[in-house]
Parts: sequence; C-alpha cells; structure tokens
Amino acid sequence: MSFIDDDEALIATALNGSSYAWEKLVKRYEGRIYNYGLRLTGNATDAMDLMQEVFLGVYRNLHRFRGDAKFSSWIFRIAHNKAIDMNRRRALIQGRTFSIEDDENGEYLVPEQTTDNEPDTQLSKGQQNEEIQCMLQKLPMEQRLIVELKIYQSQTFEEISKMQEISENTAKTRFYAALKKLKVVMEESHVLS
Amino acid sequence: MSCPRTQHLLTEYFSDDLSKVTQTEIEKHLLTCDDCTAELESIQNTQSRLRQWQDDRVPHWDRGKTLFRQEHPGNEQQRRNWFWQWLPSAASFAMLCMLIFNTSISRSESGFTVSFGTADDAFDKNHLELRLAQFGELQQLEQNQMLQDFLARMDERQDGNNLRLMQAVFDQTKQTTAESFDQMYSYFEQRRQLDLENVQVSYQQLVDSDFETLMSMQQLANYVRYPGDAR
Ligand SMILES: [Zn+2]
Repeated sequence: MSFIDDDEALIATALNGSSYAWEKLVKRYEGRIYNYGLRLTGNATDAMDLMQEVFLGVYRNLHRFRGDAKFSSWIFRIAHNKAIDMNRRRALIQGRTFSIEDDENGEYLVPEQTTDNEPDTQLSKGQQNEEIQCMLQKLPMEQRLIVELKIYQSQTFEEISKMQEISENTAKTRFYAALKKLKVVMEESHVLS
Repeated sequence: MSCPRTQHLLTEYFSDDLSKVTQTEIEKHLLTCDDCTAELESIQNTQSRLRQWQDDRVPHWDRGKTLFRQEHPGNEQQRRNWFWQWLPSAASFAMLCMLIFNTSISRSESGFTVSFGTADDAFDKNHLELRLAQFGELQQLEQNQMLQDFLARMDERQDGNNLRLMQAVFDQTKQTTAESFDQMYSYFEQRRQLDLENVQVSYQQLVDSDFETLMSMQQLANYVRYPGDAR
C-alpha cells in the first residue's frame, strides 16, 4: 500500500473509483483547507461550508488535474475561487460579507478575555486563533487574501500577483497596507483589554 | 509617523527578492530614522502575532464519501454484487434444509402413528391408509407449488442481480465494448441456467425421496394390517 502515497497516485486511484484513495486525499488536505476557511470567513460554520464546497469542486474537476502544477497549489486555487465566490454570494444574498462587523467604528472585541483569571499566562490555542480570526475580519477581503497567501501559505509576491491577477507591486502595497491595518487593530484591542 | 519614506521603504523591505544593495540602503536609513524603525518593529510584531495561528481540528464530516460512492459504484458495488450472486444458491440450500427438516418431522410423525397402530389393534387401517395417501398428495402439491414459486422468485432475483452487476461494471469501465458485454451477459446467463438446473435436480431428488418414504410407509401400513387380520 505504500506505493499509493503521493498525490498523483492517490488521484489516479481515486479516479479509478477507489473511495479509500479519495478519503486519503481528502484527509491530507482538509486540515489546511478548513483552517484557511477559518481565517478567511472568521467562523467555523462558514469554514466548514467553504471546505465542503472546495472538495466538491476538487471532486468534480479531479479528472482535469493534469499534474503539471502541484496538487496543493491546484486545490488552493480552487479554494481561493470558492472563497471569493462565497464572499460575493454572501454579500448579495444576506448583505453581509465574511466580516461580520463594519470595521469603520473601530469596535474590536477580543473574545473570551482571560485577563481576570490568568493575566500572565499565554492564551490558549483556541483563543489565539479566535483573536487572529477577529483581527483578519477587520480587513477587506482582498487584503485578507494577501495576508493569507503571504503569511500562511508562504507564497511569493510573484505567485500572489498571478493568482490575484494584479501586479506584483500592487500585491506588495496591499500586503503592507493590510499589516498596517492589523497593527492598528491590535493596538486597539490592547487598549481595550 | 512623519518620515515620508516609510511606506516605500517597508514595502520594499518585505519583498521576496530584496537585493543586497537595497537591503543595505534600507538598513542604513533605519539606523538614522526612528519613525521607520518603530514602524518596522510594530509591523514585525503584527506578523509574528499572525504566525501564532495553530491549526484547528476539522470537525467530523463524511469527506464526500457518500457522493463518491454514489457516483463510483464500481469497487464497493462489485463486492456487494458478489454477495448477491451467491444469495440464490444460499437460499436454495436453506430451502432444501428446511424441506428435509420438514420431511423428517412428518416421517417421524407417521412413524409414531404407525407404531401406535401395531401396539393397538383397534387402530383403523383405512384411516391410516387414507391419511397416508392424503399426506402424500398434499406433500406433492405443496412441494410442486413451492418449487414453482421458488424457481420463479429465483429467476426474478437472478435477472435483477445480473442486470445490476452488469450496470455497475458497465458504469465503472465505460469502455466496455459491445462484444465483451455480450460475452459477459452470456456468462451470467450460463451461470443462471446452471444454478436453476442444480436447484431443479435437487428438488426432483427430494420429491423422489419423498415418494420412496411414502411407499415404505404404505408397505409398513400393509404390514400392520396383515398381522391384524391374522389375529
Ligand atoms: Zn524613515
């Protein structure tokens, strides 16, 4: 069984109808996609929806995967498109994007503050993530995407500019603008707490 | 923050392909400019804050397996069909066992009755013969009916199974030529006929053996009658 271990082999086996190979492939990427969703959407329900849409897209297009790009970049390109689609749909249907609060009023609530009980200990993993999620939701979608790609997926500005169909300079400027904005958000939250 | 170069400088500072020359230039400026140094520090803080993300576990979900199995009935279905293919044979075996079991019960019953007849002279011979005849007729009728029913049912099921199996195989490969499809069909058809013949033979044997039983019981009845007459 060790020979069906790289993505290409798993894809081929899955395309032959093996649900075992399909599940293995999904298991390999679901964590990354789900966490990507958490950071982009800011909540678990939307992240779950996004992840399921992504894998449905992967499933529907698996036969088109040619192997000239890495599967991981391919799947993240699908994820990227789905995230933008989803954000647009949300905006149209419910009048809300992933960012729940309007960021203009500068209101930033750190979830589940633990300052009373354990002031000096580090925040738990869940709280840390929630804080980061909240911070990211303060960014407009396009900036959030750049932060995601740059920080969490360690892409180069060249790769980002191709994916986003913007110039490399725009990508850099956007990234810097996003960090500046996040800096302000962080300072506000520290003032509040 | 009032240094006019901050924005441009830091944007460059974070590029992937920062040249040695540019880097030295930026660092030289940082040494002299507090604004830019403070800005760089806080931006770096923000970045490290973001990097504190630790992946959350994915909640349980079905991983698209339901959909996958629906649309790729291939492997799983084949295994199930393998089972279905043998089900009729298993069923016929079970049916045979049941019939043999039934038969042995009735045989022991009549044996019981006959032995009573020999023990008690007052036992009605005609009644015994009548009962034996009735029993024989009934059994034959019942068995014929059952045989017919069973064969019909098996025919139906086998057809359904063959169809399903072929559908699954066909769906999976989608390249099956008409020729190999015909071969496959004739193979299954052959199998089905073989199964049916086997069952028919077994039933015929069963029916025959029941007739033998009936005959031996009649002989026994005659035997019971003669000692009765002699007395
Ligand atoms: Zn400066």
